[in-house]
Amino acid sequence: MNFNHKFVFLLPGLLVLIGILIFPIVFTVRLSLSSWDSFYPGLDFIGLDNYIRLFTDDKRFWESFFRLSFLSVTTVFLQYIIGFSLALMVWKDIIFKRFFRVLFLIPMMTTPVIMTVIWRTFFHESLGPVNDFFSLFGITPLWLSNNILAKVTVIIVEVWQWTPFMFLLLLAGLLSLPKEPFLAASIDGAGPIRKFIYVTFPLMAPISIGAIIIRLIEASKIMDTVYVLTSGGPGTATETSSYYIFIKGLREFQIGYSAALSFTYLIIMIISLTIISKLLVKLLIKKI
Amino acid sequence: MKLVTDNLTFKPEKEYFLNKVSLEFEAGKLYTLLGRTLSGKTSLLKTIAGLQPIDTGNIIFEGKDFSTIPVWKRNVAMVYQQFINYPHLNVFDNIAFPLKQRKMKTSDIENEVSVAIHKVGLLGFEKRKIQELSGGQQQRVALARSLVKKAKILLLDEPLVNLDYKLREDLRNEFKNIFTSDLSANSILLYASTDPLEAMQLNGDIIVLDEGEILQSGTAKDVFENPTNIKVSEITNDPAMNILKGSIDSNKIILNENVQFKIPKHVKNIQAGTYHFGIRASDMILDDKGFDFNIDISEISGSETFLHLHQNELNIVLLIEEVKNFNENDKVKINFNLDKLYVFDGKGDLLFSPFKMN
Repeated sequence: MNFNHKFVFLLPGLLVLIGILIFPIVFTVRLSLSSWDSFYPGLDFIGLDNYIRLFTDDKRFWESFFRLSFLSVTTVFLQYIIGFSLALMVWKDIIFKRFFRVLFLIPMMTTPVIMTVIWRTFFHESLGPVNDFFSLFGITPLWLSNNILAKVTVIIVEVWQWTPFMFLLLLAGLLSLPKEPFLAASIDGAGPIRKFIYVTFPLMAPISIGAIIIRLIEASKIMDTVYVLTSGGPGTATETSSYYIFIKGLREFQIGYSAALSFTYLIIMIISLTIISKLLVKLLIKKI
Repeated sequence: MKLVTDNLTFKPEKEYFLNKVSLEFEAGKLYTLLGRTLSGKTSLLKTIAGLQPIDTGNIIFEGKDFSTIPVWKRNVAMVYQQFINYPHLNVFDNIAFPLKQRKMKTSDIENEVSVAIHKVGLLGFEKRKIQELSGGQQQRVALARSLVKKAKILLLDEPLVNLDYKLREDLRNEFKNIFTSDLSANSILLYASTDPLEAMQLNGDIIVLDEGEILQSGTAKDVFENPTNIKVSEITNDPAMNILKGSIDSNKIILNENVQFKIPKHVKNIQAGTYHFGIRASDMILDDKGFDFNIDISEISGSETFLHLHQNELNIVLLIEEVKNFNENDKVKINFNLDKLYVFDGKGDLLFSPFKMN
């Protein structure tokens, strides 16, 4: 009997993998080589026309991509700073430690879409409580219809929603650190700040990189917040790649073209995240 | 330069970690804290380092109150029972860490560190990661890190206990060399240990601790020869000194109806009554004219043999300095070297010692 029975046991997993991962990717690639749209649906073959259009004649996509890069890097950076600070705060023995730990996690437990609707109401330019407050000083910032402020609003909401996730990962990391190096550091003459710089931070570097990469992957998919808060507006001031792809594909039904967009986006993301993580490793682990 | 601990007490819950510990340490000397686990050795060291709070008491160093100075400004060095190093740094950076905290010049740091590396025998390992070292080497790194600081107080908390037998012997000798060659008049050295043999070998002053309390302090010779009470005699001897309950009656020491002997010369003017008699395991011999005992257990340790014996209610551990095989429940005849007999009173305090008492 040459038949290898062990492969039979691999089959279910393999089938699922093909069904939900490999087939969609292959199909997207094939789709991106077609001109499928609402007028002429169907898998024709037009070669690389969609890609040529994407690279030569679609400023809006690249703009949305750089906007996305800016938004995701900024939000993740802020999340990391705030999340790390909060985690450090409840890491040590403070009163109501458990209470604060749960409190800081609450935003993550809420539904992002619902919370964004609430935030939109908050930032409503004439009816929202935020401007109610600012009108005390005689100013009413246009939170949702100013090019720059709209980005700030998106960042605030994203940071509020996802800092808890960062906090959770970093707190788990802090709690798993060995206690001994900290003892040694105080004996060796490091005060609280130096202890953080020379011991806590370097020990947390691997966990930090993991958390940042996970958040970057998540953040680069920003869609629901933008959709509900500003619908990419004013103009295209808050339009991100995924939102643009959504518009092209499911609003304008340029299925073939949006497939090309998606696939290009995927490749760029894989390459850039790989570079970013390599850079982070170099920056945080090798140097210190 | 003096380090004085005055009436240190720390009692976080029901049991004392430290109980009225008042000691004086002088520069240029080695002090060994000897006690069993949970006797307060580590607590005392941690308190001096500033890692543990105290309820009452003072620590005074060079005339200044130490307790208001935070840990990182105290200039103490500590080596722990666990091999504590910085896992994210290599050997060189580990040893350089305390110097970097002092913002020393890079060239000075390099000199100091290479001297320390040479001293602890880690030459060629500078770039290694800590995880790539053996336990003994990790402890050498920790030791080098504490030496490089040239701290005025060096605390060693059972630094050898987690190492294997052979390594422990080697490293202990090296420790002794490093200490004696490096221990200028400017450092106070405190070494905690559970092992009486180690304490004797280090040959400094010994402080015997139990349940956070000082039982006795003095030179190694002093503590060994004249343990002030039964507890000290148990802590400072391995195997613990045999403590036998008995009585004195008409010029005879009576341990039970079979084991009776004359009162030795150094026990003078003793009244009749019940006493505790102490005799070290090495101060008894196999002797055909001796008393009959049954063997409970016989264990061979290195080049020695321990015999656990009993006769009626009398239990004795005997040390023979050669390897011999015995069967359990065999009978042997032993005799006591009465010149080495200790007598303790009913409360356990030393009354007579074979050595000259102060």
